[in-house]
Amino acid sequence: MAKETPSELGKGTIALVDDEENIRETVGYALRKEGYRVDTYSDGAEAWQTLEEKLPDVAVLDIMMPRMDGLDLCRKLRAKSETLPIIFLTSRDEEFDRVLGLELGADDYLCKPFSMRELVARVKVLFRRLHLADSPRTAAEEKLIDVGGLRLDLQRYTAHWQGAPVQLTVTEFLILNALARHPGHVKSREQLVQEGYPHDSYVSDRTIDSHIKRLRRKLTRTDPSFDEIETVYGLGYRYRQPGASD
Amino acid sequence: MTEIAALPDERQASRRDAGRETTGREARRRDRLIRFFSRISIRLLAFNVLLVFLPAFGILSLETYEDELLDYQERAMVQQGRVLAAALGGHGPLDGERAQSILERMNREFDARLRVVDSDFLLLADSGRLGPRIDSSATPPAEDPEIRRNLIYRFGNFLYQSYSRFVLPPEPPLPHAGFYSTQKKLVGPEIEQALRGGYGSATRRTAGQRSLTLFSALPVLSDGDVVGAVLVSKSTFQILGSLYELRLSTFQVILLSVLAAVVLTLLVSTTIVRPVSKLQREALAILDRRGRLKGRFKAYQRLDEIGDLSRALAELTRRLHEHLRFTESFASDVSHEFKNPLASIRTATDLLEDEDDPAARQRFVQMIQRDVTRLGRLLSAVRQITQIDARLDAEPTEIFDLRRTLERLRESYELRSPGLSYALHVPEEPVQIEASPDRIVQVLENLLDNATGFSPEGATIRIDLTTDSDDAVLEVADQGPGIPEENLETIFDRFFSYRPEGKGGTGHTGLGLAIARAIVEGAGGDLSARNGNGGGAVFCLRLPTHS
Repeated sequence: MAKETPSELGKGTIALVDDEENIRETVGYALRKEGYRVDTYSDGAEAWQTLEEKLPDVAVLDIMMPRMDGLDLCRKLRAKSETLPIIFLTSRDEEFDRVLGLELGADDYLCKPFSMRELVARVKVLFRRLHLADSPRTAAEEKLIDVGGLRLDLQRYTAHWQGAPVQLTVTEFLILNALARHPGHVKSREQLVQEGYPHDSYVSDRTIDSHIKRLRRKLTRTDPSFDEIETVYGLGYRYRQPGASD
Repeated sequence: MTEIAALPDERQASRRDAGRETTGREARRRDRLIRFFSRISIRLLAFNVLLVFLPAFGILSLETYEDELLDYQERAMVQQGRVLAAALGGHGPLDGERAQSILERMNREFDARLRVVDSDFLLLADSGRLGPRIDSSATPPAEDPEIRRNLIYRFGNFLYQSYSRFVLPPEPPLPHAGFYSTQKKLVGPEIEQALRGGYGSATRRTAGQRSLTLFSALPVLSDGDVVGAVLVSKSTFQILGSLYELRLSTFQVILLSVLAAVVLTLLVSTTIVRPVSKLQREALAILDRRGRLKGRFKAYQRLDEIGDLSRALAELTRRLHEHLRFTESFASDVSHEFKNPLASIRTATDLLEDEDDPAARQRFVQMIQRDVTRLGRLLSAVRQITQIDARLDAEPTEIFDLRRTLERLRESYELRSPGLSYALHVPEEPVQIEASPDRIVQVLENLLDNATGFSPEGATIRIDLTTDSDDAVLEVADQGPGIPEENLETIFDRFFSYRPEGKGGTGHTGLGLAIARAIVEGAGGDLSARNGNGGGAVFCLRLPTHS
């Protein structure tokens, strides 16, 4: 099962780990309604007992948990599988940086209180990415955006800079897509919130700044000369028009 | 006033302004002056120097010493005069030749100038005319003594002269000592006195000298009649010489003392004032421009009061930082703790929107209700924990027997949880403690609630009260799953909650034990947890007994 790729969208297994009983119940209910199999665990240690034997297709982890917390569990899961998609549910703002700053390899995260639709949409994206990763590319599915050296695959939610893959979370991908789709246009933080979290209106503008910071970091790590995302003071951000000089 | 009133309004105003300006400047100058003199180092210096000077003026004048010396000299002179008068007397009217020969004999032993007059004031003999063997003091050298040219002496003398000129009342000028020198007949008040049979004395200034000349006149008697007088005179030069020497050495001592006072003051101000100003600079540097606490005091190594002060300040800032950190982390803990029920409510409302199944809808509504209740409970617990210190101070304490409290609690818990038994062991003697009974009951209820919540059906909860020297020791032991070793201390952290599935439900806030510990520590005791030998958690409460 661990190596198995779900043959059909919505037929995968999801491990949901949260010490909050109500969250397990509501999130579990919603995901099951989408057709996924959901196993719930109340803390990291309990989850690890089962997941060590058999990896799920997607893991949804709370961070603050007694006994083993979400970050420890994520590290253990990553040690077993490089590709397992992981979504974090965080309730502390400062945890953002820990989750992604530590490069634990989370694929996405949502801040509590999150919108159920947002979570379901993210889970679906992760399944699609998982599903498409191994399947051969067909011309019909090809939905690509090329801006200068940047290529975004809207089907697989993957990004390449000058041919090299850049690991982005779903949110980062959506924000980069919003910017790169209209190079030279300024996008306000509110617009970027709308693009990055299409189903959630509770995200503060300032989280966009953290995402941009992380996007730049990831891209400059691939190419130290990368400087395509510009800050427009008082307005927002802009993707540099290819060929335009600074 | 009238002048100002006569001025045109405008000029009046400008003059008033100018006046205010000057008074403002004066006030500032005065302020600066006051600040200057209120500096500890200046005050120390003034104090030390004054301490040296106050007795110094007394010593410098040396009035008493001088009087005594003069008195002594006068007595010696009178003695010499008496001897001469006795030798001359008893032989009828005085004879110049005889007087001269007696004088010549005596002059070898006496240092004063001796003169003899008859009853008509006529000079009969004078030791001053007896050739070179005359006491030097009788005709002192024209020059000032060596000592008076000493620089230090001159400086001291200047101070003393100014002091006596301006402070002491003026004395009438004395007659000149050359009073008798040109006369054949020595008609002076002291001789008149002696010729009347009494003792006469006068003080005159020595010519060209600072010293004085003392004159004493004694009658020469023969058969009860006054036949002449003996005039003894001597300059106070010798006395002055020793006085000058004394003054000089006194003044040297004073100068040295002043020097020592200055050096001492400088030393004291470097060891006291400098570190104090350093502390002050540190205090200013601790707050940044926006008034936020930035740095902290460094604790000095020094063992004196300033060291103590710096250590106290360092401790103060350390506690402040700790408190700030506590407040910050508390705010973040609280926000985290509120986000879980909020997330739960949000997901439930999201689901409600799309859900048609009435059973499921009912379930989500109940979930929302539970979470709202929980948020309310959380809010009041947060309020309680933030106010606990202030509340403990405000609540009256009572002295009460902990055994009675425990017995009452046992009864009510047995009624509430019939499936469990509560075994209470208390000592024979009363266990008196001084605390707020309501708060102690709150702590005990928290421990008993925990024990009850974690106990399987039919289990026994052991409550043991003992005394250990001055402490009351209470142990509450359950037969539940116990506490993981690594969490024995963290269970007292705010918002920590570890509950195995199905135990305790969602009613807990994660603040109960934190509040309990705060109460117990506020009452001077402590609260800790361990695992019992046979499994299960044991909470140990220690409170000081009232003696």
